[in-house]
Amino acid sequence: MTSPVWARRRAAAGRVWREFAANRGGLVGVVVLGLFVLTAILAPLLISESSLDVTRATGQRLESPSGDFPLGTDENGLSVLTLTLWGTRLSLVVGLAAAVLSVLIGTTVGILAGHFGGWLSAVLLRFTDFFLIMPSLVLAIALSAVLEGGAGTIILAIGVVSWPTSARLVRAQTLAVEARPYIERARALGGGHGHVIFKHVLPSVLPLVFVNTTLAVGTAIVAESTLRFLGLGSTSEITWGGLLRSASSSGAITYGAWWYLLPPGIAIVLLVLAFTLVGRALETVLNPKLRERR
Amino acid sequence: MLVRRRLAGAVSVIALVAVTVPWVAGAAQAQGEKVLRAGITQDLDSLNPFITITRVGTDLTRLTYEYLTTYDPKDYRPVPGLAEKWETSPDKLTWTFTIRSGAKWSDGQPITAADPAFTLNKMMTDKAAATANGNFVQGWESVTAPDDRTLVIRTKQPRSTMLALDIPIVPKHVWEKVTDFKAEPPLPLVGSGPFIVQDYKASQFIKLKANKDYWRGAPKIDALDFVYYKNVDAEVQALQKGDIDLMSRLVPAQYDALKNDPNIKLNTGAGRRLNEILINPGAASADGNPIGNGNPALKDVQLRKAIALAIDSRTLVDKVWGGYAVEAAGYIPPGFAEFHWPEKRKFDPAEANKMLDEAGYVRGADGVRADKTGKPLRLRLLGHAGTNLDEQGSKYITSWLKDIGIAVEPQMVADQKVNDATTAGNFDLAFSGWSANPDPDYVLSLQTCASRPNADGKGATPDSFLCDPEYDALYAQQLAETDRAKRIEIVKKMQQVLADRASLVILGYDNPLEAYRADRWAPFTTQPSSGGVIMNQQGYWGYYSATPGRTTDADAPAEAQGGGGNTGLVIGLVGGGVVVVLAGVLAFARLRRRGTADERE
Repeated sequence: MTSPVWARRRAAAGRVWREFAANRGGLVGVVVLGLFVLTAILAPLLISESSLDVTRATGQRLESPSGDFPLGTDENGLSVLTLTLWGTRLSLVVGLAAAVLSVLIGTTVGILAGHFGGWLSAVLLRFTDFFLIMPSLVLAIALSAVLEGGAGTIILAIGVVSWPTSARLVRAQTLAVEARPYIERARALGGGHGHVIFKHVLPSVLPLVFVNTTLAVGTAIVAESTLRFLGLGSTSEITWGGLLRSASSSGAITYGAWWYLLPPGIAIVLLVLAFTLVGRALETVLNPKLRERR
Repeated sequence: MLVRRRLAGAVSVIALVAVTVPWVAGAAQAQGEKVLRAGITQDLDSLNPFITITRVGTDLTRLTYEYLTTYDPKDYRPVPGLAEKWETSPDKLTWTFTIRSGAKWSDGQPITAADPAFTLNKMMTDKAAATANGNFVQGWESVTAPDDRTLVIRTKQPRSTMLALDIPIVPKHVWEKVTDFKAEPPLPLVGSGPFIVQDYKASQFIKLKANKDYWRGAPKIDALDFVYYKNVDAEVQALQKGDIDLMSRLVPAQYDALKNDPNIKLNTGAGRRLNEILINPGAASADGNPIGNGNPALKDVQLRKAIALAIDSRTLVDKVWGGYAVEAAGYIPPGFAEFHWPEKRKFDPAEANKMLDEAGYVRGADGVRADKTGKPLRLRLLGHAGTNLDEQGSKYITSWLKDIGIAVEPQMVADQKVNDATTAGNFDLAFSGWSANPDPDYVLSLQTCASRPNADGKGATPDSFLCDPEYDALYAQQLAETDRAKRIEIVKKMQQVLADRASLVILGYDNPLEAYRADRWAPFTTQPSSGGVIMNQQGYWGYYSATPGRTTDADAPAEAQGGGGNTGLVIGLVGGGVVVVLAGVLAFARLRRRGTADERE
């Protein structure tokens, strides 16, 4: 495709990348993130299912790090390294899915409230306010306890409680965009609601939504680990929060088994940090761009 | 009889911060007051002595109410409690108890024979009052109190449990005004034991005051506090810091680590507790109507037997209990060797697979077998959140049952939720467990038709919902058999029948792992005297013996080897847990607040 539209888009993408690459924190974030994604994709190839099965464990209870087990073993004699690597998969997937769900709900509500105004806006905003004032962790705990089940429940619980900020954000942006003269022109030329929303409002709020999603993933991952640490979701799934919980309930702290607690903890910190760095870098890049368009 | 207390686990689902030091209301003790603080993690089901069946509840009941007879701390011999002596008629149908004179209720009223007569009559006439201990009064004809010191019980047939009546005797003048025996009693309780429950706040504390007028003599301390912890590792940290004095139910890694702590004395003994997986054999209420939502496939005894064959007790003993347990055999724990049926439970997945193949459970493409109606065999496994056996053991059980083509979904929930679900038949597989009493009647009664609840899942204490004519006939026989040797034979036969019906799978018998502050307390009385426990006794001896002082090395356990513990590191790691939770809270908050920074225009 060499249409002028695509050429312009490619140029814009190149510009974004150059500006992004100038941000060293963002670059580090991308590299770390890449490593995590690679781990998640390669984990099933590197790790056989039997090395996750407690009944086929080869180590002793809470062995300290050694040649056979670089990060020691857990209370069942499984390798903590293997478990931590495997945990990447769910943490990443749940974090991403929950963030996307939350931003999706938030964007929909925000655009509808901003675009239509009037009583619909009032109703949607009061609804948003209601969720905004609810203590989210408690609500998420209640939701995942009532719904039961595994990762899907956790995604739902986090997504459902964390959307109001995006809604507020997107509504403000929608109002700002719709106040511009070109929207008025589009309307005057007969553009309906669908045309205005999808052709004009959505493209100009998308960068904001994108940044918001990247930053939301980090918080969603921490939220996921928190819920798992508190014992919600299925215990048969291997997650970082779940590992911390097992460590705590099997007496690893009293035993001094630092090799059991630190790997999942540090993994959470690194992954969240990576998402935050990337999100912040993207934000600085996209901010001036928005201003240019105005 | 056995004491009933459903394996009470810990950590309710809403356990917010794993490592918080609980806030104890009114923690400020009067200067110089001597308080024993014991840590606990299990939920309390009720303070009502007619209802409670959990370990915590039974412990409190034993402390607050003196029973007619109690068990000797040395060897479990029945010894005088409220009754100072007793005799039985030659036909063994009439029992006359002489009630102790001069003993008082904690509100100052004298204790008379009218109090036990009221309590026992109530249990015979009010279904709600028979919820926890109804098995003891079955087959009784009458209970009368001809005078203030004489209690006469007449039974229809001879009863083997008459000196093992595990029934809290309540004060008539307080309870005769009560109309609903399912309700929670007002606090403070009025009791006759060495410590009386004064105050209770769910998941925070239970406070007991020493009964200075106690007939055996006032306890040597002024108060006994139970302090709640959200998990057992937090509890151990509190013990090491000195926030609590006594705790039980350590997990093996903690027990090994504490061996190096000079201020802590450890205590263990032979297992007197049975741990089991219930397999719902088609729960029904007392009148025979099906209740609950158990998987109907489990009505097939072949399937249940295959499940039992696929669960390896040896591995659980080694891996989950760290060797501090005994491998599974009969239903009565080996700590009560007389009644224990010693035949080890078999582990043979190949045989289990063969049985299922022959019974027509065909494996699907994903390795999961289909039941007789063609639906894949998927079972829920209910466990107590925060209880190590359930959380860790469920991983093994899931894997073993997967090997024989059964998909298991473990669900770890709050103790009370497990209790409710198992009592109402709303489970497929569930973790359960009972502390046995020297007399086996109570735990045996749990598997009879009569222990099934009413249609609402209330009014009785079922365990596996087994209702088997052969078992019930044997149960009635052992209850009426006054020749001990013959009774033991019958009880062993019953355990064989239970193993054959496979409505429950014995996992093993864990040794109690307890610890207390050696720098503050003299040795406690254990029951029995060798290899006994301090907490959760068949009596109150452990708490009653609490004496400020110290336990010297001579009393210390011989073994001093074990895993290392590093306090500095440990504190750092505890912090880690808090950080994760706090980070979660902050992250949620931040997600919301980011708005302001980003709203442009």
